[in-house]
Amino acid sequence: MPKFRLALAAAMAASMLSGPVRAEDSFKIGSSVGLTGYAAVVDRAWRDGMAVAAEALNEKGGILGRKIEIITEDNRSQPQDAVVGYRKMLSSDEVQIFDSGCVSAGNFAAAAFVMRAELPMYLCSILPKREEEQAWAFSFLPPPRFEVEPRYQYLKDKTDVRKVGLLYDPTPYALLMKGLAEELAANFGIEVVAQESYKADDADMSVQIGRINAAGAGAVIKIGQGGSTVTAAKNIRQLGLDKMILMSSNDDGSIFRQAGEVLGDRFLFVSPPVQLPKELKPGPRKEAVDAFLKYWSAKYPDRDAANGARAWDSMMVMAKAAEVANSVEGEAMRDATEKVPSHQGAYATYNFSKEHHVGITENPFLIGKFAGGELVLAQ
Amino acid sequence: MPNAIEFTQSIVNGISVGLIYGLVGIGFCVIYNASGIVNFAQGVFVMLGGMVCQALLTSLGIPLILAVVLTIPLVALSGLLMEVAIVRPMMNRGATLFAIILATLAAQIMVERITLLTLGDRPRTYEEFTSGGPLKLGDVAIGYQLFWILGCGALLVLALWLFFTRTRSGRALRACSQNREAAQLLGIPVARMMLLAFGLSAALGAIAGILVTPTQYTAYNVGTPFGVNGFIAAIIGGFGRAGGALAGGLLLGVLQALAIVVLGAGFKNVAALSVLLLVLLLFPNGIFAGFGPNAKAH
Repeated sequence: MPKFRLALAAAMAASMLSGPVRAEDSFKIGSSVGLTGYAAVVDRAWRDGMAVAAEALNEKGGILGRKIEIITEDNRSQPQDAVVGYRKMLSSDEVQIFDSGCVSAGNFAAAAFVMRAELPMYLCSILPKREEEQAWAFSFLPPPRFEVEPRYQYLKDKTDVRKVGLLYDPTPYALLMKGLAEELAANFGIEVVAQESYKADDADMSVQIGRINAAGAGAVIKIGQGGSTVTAAKNIRQLGLDKMILMSSNDDGSIFRQAGEVLGDRFLFVSPPVQLPKELKPGPRKEAVDAFLKYWSAKYPDRDAANGARAWDSMMVMAKAAEVANSVEGEAMRDATEKVPSHQGAYATYNFSKEHHVGITENPFLIGKFAGGELVLAQ
Repeated sequence: MPNAIEFTQSIVNGISVGLIYGLVGIGFCVIYNASGIVNFAQGVFVMLGGMVCQALLTSLGIPLILAVVLTIPLVALSGLLMEVAIVRPMMNRGATLFAIILATLAAQIMVERITLLTLGDRPRTYEEFTSGGPLKLGDVAIGYQLFWILGCGALLVLALWLFFTRTRSGRALRACSQNREAAQLLGIPVARMMLLAFGLSAALGAIAGILVTPTQYTAYNVGTPFGVNGFIAAIIGGFGRAGGALAGGLLLGVLQALAIVVLGAGFKNVAALSVLLLVLLLFPNGIFAGFGPNAKAH
C-alpha cells in the first residue's frame, strides 16, 4: 500500500509538472492579417503560406523541438483593429514572435508596444518609420525600386517605347514606387509623360488611360494591385489603343491571367520566379521553389503562389534564426535574424543583417506575360 | 487644358458608368416607395449579378444568354430572402425604420462575407457581349458594351414605366408609395408588395452587375461603391423617382468623368459629393422635385 501511495504521489507530481512543460513545448507565432478589406487577397495568401510552412516545419520537429502554433487575428485591413489584435496576442495568447501581413498602417500602429515587449516582428509590409521600432522589425517586402527597374529595362531592351505614363494608386507604398518610377526613368532613357491616379474601386479608368495616350505614352506603368489591373486592361481595349502596352506591378496570378486574356502580348507583369516555376533552371532557386510548391500546390492547386511564398520564406528564416540563437527568446531571435546567413527562399534571396532589416537586397523579379493559357517568361 | 476629344471621350465613359449608377438608384427607389426603407444592401445585388453570372459561365460553361436568364431570378431570390428573413420580421416586431435600415447594412456585410467564403477573394470578369470594337467616331472610341448598357437601360426604363402604369401590381406598388395605410385599407396586400419590391430591386441590381462586369471586374467587395453612387444618384434625382434616379446616375457618372479630366482622379468623389451638396441646398428633394424647402418628394 505505501508503495502504491508513493507511486500515486509520484504520478501526481509528474502530472503537475507536465502542465507547464507542455506549454513550453509550443512556439507561438502571432499574425495580424487583413483577411477582409483592401489587403485581403495578399494577406489571406500570407496566412496560408505561414500555415503550410508551419506544417512542413512541424513535420521535422518544429522550431528547436517546439511545435509551431500560429495565432491569427483578422485586422480587417484597418489599423485600429490591428492594434486590438496585437494587444490580444501579446497579453492573452502570449505569443513569442510576430509574423504579420501587409497592412503597413496596422503594423506601424502596433510597433511601439511590440518593441516595448521586446518581440521581433517579421512583416509582409514595409518597416515602421521610427528607428527604434525598425530595430525589432524585419521586412520581407522587396524594395519598391525592384518592381520598377525590370519594367524599364524590358522596355529599353525589347521595345521601341520610350515614353510612358504612370497609373498609380494613392497608397503610401504605391506613392513611394511612383516617386522612384519618375526618378529612375532617365537611367533607362525613358521619359514619364503623364501621371494619373486611380482608386482601387474605380469602375472605369478610361479617362486616365486616354490622357496617358494623349500625352504620347506607348506604355502604361501601373503601380498598385488588385482587380483594377483587369479594369485598366479592359479600358485600353475599349479605347481601341491597339499598340498600348500595360505593365503591371507584382500581383496575384489570377489577375495576370484575366488581364492577359484581354490584351494578350501587350500585357506584361513583374513576377517573382515562384510564379513562373516552369521557366527555372536547376539550382538552389528552383530547389527552394519546388520545396515550397510541394506543400502549397498539394493544398491549394488552383491558387497563385507568390504571396504565400513570401510568408513561407519568412517562417524558414525564423526557423534558421532560432537555430542560430539556439533560443526562441525575443531579443535572441532579433539578434539572430540579423545573423542568418544568406537564405535562398521560394520568392527571393534574403540577406538580413544589422544594417539591412529589409531582407530582399537582390532583385528577384522577372517580366512575365500570359501566353498559351499560362504565365510565362516574356522573352 | 484638356481638349475637346478628351471632354467628349470622358462624357461617353461617364454615361456608361452613370447608367449603372442609375439602375442601382432605381433599385433604391423601388424599395423606398414600397416600404419607406433605404436598402443599403442594394450594392450587393450588383456584385451578386456579376459574380453569379461569371460563376455560371466559367464553372458550368453555359452560354451567356442562359447564364443571364438564370442569374437574374437567382439574385432576385436573394432580395426576397432579405425581405422575408430580415425586413419583415423586424417590421412585424415594430422596429423603427432606422433599425431596419441599419439591418440592411448588416445584411450587406453578411452577403459579402458569404460570397467571400463561397466564391473566394479573386477578382473575376468575363468577355464583352459583342466581341471586337470599339466603334470609332473620329478620335472618340465607344466600346460595344456601352451599347448593351444603353440599350438594356432604355428597355428596362420602358419596362418599368409599363409595369408601374399598366399593370395591377405596378399600380398597387405606386399606391403603397403614396400612402401605405390607405393602400392597405383598399385591400392592397402591402406585405406582398414589399416582397415584390425587394425582388424587383434585386433583379435590377443583378442586371446592372451583369452589364457592367465585362467592362471591369467583379469581386465580393465591389458592391459598396456601386451602392454609394446609386444612393447619391437616387438623391440627386429626388429619392423615390425612378426616372430621376436614372437621370441622377447619368449626371453623376458624367460629372465624375469630367472631374478626372479637369481636376484629376483624386477629386472625382470630392466633385461628385460637392454637386450632391449643391443639389441638396438648391433642390432639397432632388432636381426633379422642384425648388424650395416645401417641394414634395413624390
